Amino acid sequence: MLEVVTPGLLSTIQDAGRPDYADVGVPTAGACDPLALAAANLLLGNDAGSPALEMTLTGPELRVLTTCVAGLAGADLGAHVEDRALAPGATHLLWAGSTVSFRGGSGARAYLSLPGGIDAPQVLGSASTYLPAGFGGLEGRALLPGDRLVPLSPVDPDRAGLRWPDRLLQPAYASSPTLRVVAGPHHDRFARDALDSLRDQDWEVRPESDRMGVRVSAASPLGVRLERGELLSEGMVWGAVQVPTDGQPIILMADHQTVGGYPVLAVVIRADRPLLGQLAPGDRVRFASVTLEEAQQAYQEQQDGLRKVAVRLGRKDPWDLLVDSAAG
Amino acid sequence: MSGAPPSSEPEIRPFGDSALLAVLGDRMDVELNARVHELAGSIRRVRQHGDRRWGTPVAGYCSLLVPYDLEQVTYGEAHDGLLGLIRSLGDATRLFAPSPVVEIPVRYGGADGPDLEGVAERLALTSAQLVELHTANAYRVFLLGFVPGFAYLGPLPRELVLPRRATPRQRVPRGSVAIAGEQTGVYPLETPGGWHLLGRTDAVLWDVHRQPPALLQPGALVRFVAVG
Repeated sequence: MLEVVTPGLLSTIQDAGRPDYADVGVPTAGACDPLALAAANLLLGNDAGSPALEMTLTGPELRVLTTCVAGLAGADLGAHVEDRALAPGATHLLWAGSTVSFRGGSGARAYLSLPGGIDAPQVLGSASTYLPAGFGGLEGRALLPGDRLVPLSPVDPDRAGLRWPDRLLQPAYASSPTLRVVAGPHHDRFARDALDSLRDQDWEVRPESDRMGVRVSAASPLGVRLERGELLSEGMVWGAVQVPTDGQPIILMADHQTVGGYPVLAVVIRADRPLLGQLAPGDRVRFASVTLEEAQQAYQEQQDGLRKVAVRLGRKDPWDLLVDSAAG
Repeated sequence: MSGAPPSSEPEIRPFGDSALLAVLGDRMDVELNARVHELAGSIRRVRQHGDRRWGTPVAGYCSLLVPYDLEQVTYGEAHDGLLGLIRSLGDATRLFAPSPVVEIPVRYGGADGPDLEGVAERLALTSAQLVELHTANAYRVFLLGFVPGFAYLGPLPRELVLPRRATPRQRVPRGSVAIAGEQTGVYPLETPGGWHLLGRTDAVLWDVHRQPPALLQPGALVRFVAVG
């Protein structure tokens, strides 16, 4: 069990989200980097979508009340227990009385899992926190000092010291990634060269980005054909590159509103949601087109890879995944 | 702008790599929207019968977003499956099966509806006439969105159509009943908002611990009733 000393910039409980209430206006929510959530959980033998702690840019300070094992994945936000660095993509034994802190690093979001998941009530089929409507997670809010993170299963110390085996599945959390997109449903509402103009320049991530969407800007904004009038509100998807009239796109993420009225030029493919979720203000991002078939194949490979690792990690003694003690 | 009548071959567009957009028309129209909800209902039914290829469909005014499981079906298979569901929709008469009408009691004007008098003045009506027009007909839940449980209701009588406020309010109280453009609605939570506030209701539009949590479901009919 862990107790929050300082909560960090934005630390919330997130799981795989609640997709079944979108028709009454409820965003999916859930981890912005679904692959890192899965990795943090599978490392502990949890279900991939179990509730974990999502930490943003500046992580929290956590006091360890009872000795436990934690999984860490996603961005390297500089996790330490006392003065020892904790690598992401691994499990760590945390002794009672010690303090876990985050000293800053790169990327946007890190995930901390506990055995069986973190205890939080299920609301509409998910423990994910949705801040704008104040439900899910811990009382519908971000962590506060004094909150306790309680594991749902007993702690198994043998789970400590495991590392994520597959390098290919650890996405390159570069500060200048390329997101793969497919063409969006409203291409007829854009200038003819809009898709080229999306692909041919660097986009900078703006500070107003949040869990609803990543806002980017570039020297040449995208041309929206205003003479087509306003779009009547319609359903939206995670990854949609929405373009308001100023031509500076918003790429929708986990907390995006279920319907929207801005035209969508392109959609980030599902396999690249993890990279989208790791964009931090000031990062530079590029876009590249792929076909629907390539998008599907990329996602299939990602999921097959996860399942293979899950099988290895699910074995009672996955010795081949032990971290070499000398390497720490 | 009036579009073409719904064609027999609807347009199905990919919306990313794991959803389809069924476009049934291009205007705000009760008949078109009823067809959207009919299609949504038919997808919900096949899901209930164990077809896990589809996700929760999300209605727009004249389109339906239909997520699919890209590990189970290709785009082409999803496209053909959805086209089949659209073709098997009932004829127009079935779309207007009577829905139960949800009545929402509203205290109009005063502190509950701070924009009532100003709006009446702009529309060259008395406050009483405005309330009478707003309560005269049942409205259709075209779609939900913005925040959980917020239903876009319409169409509003032509006499009440007004652009939204030039400056949105930072805080609109929960339960506020409001109009903007051809639409009306009730704020389920305290949120920012740019619509004109005519009154307020004690009806609970959204309760996350209730089943179902949203008072107004897609496609339902709603009537406002003035109370003292």
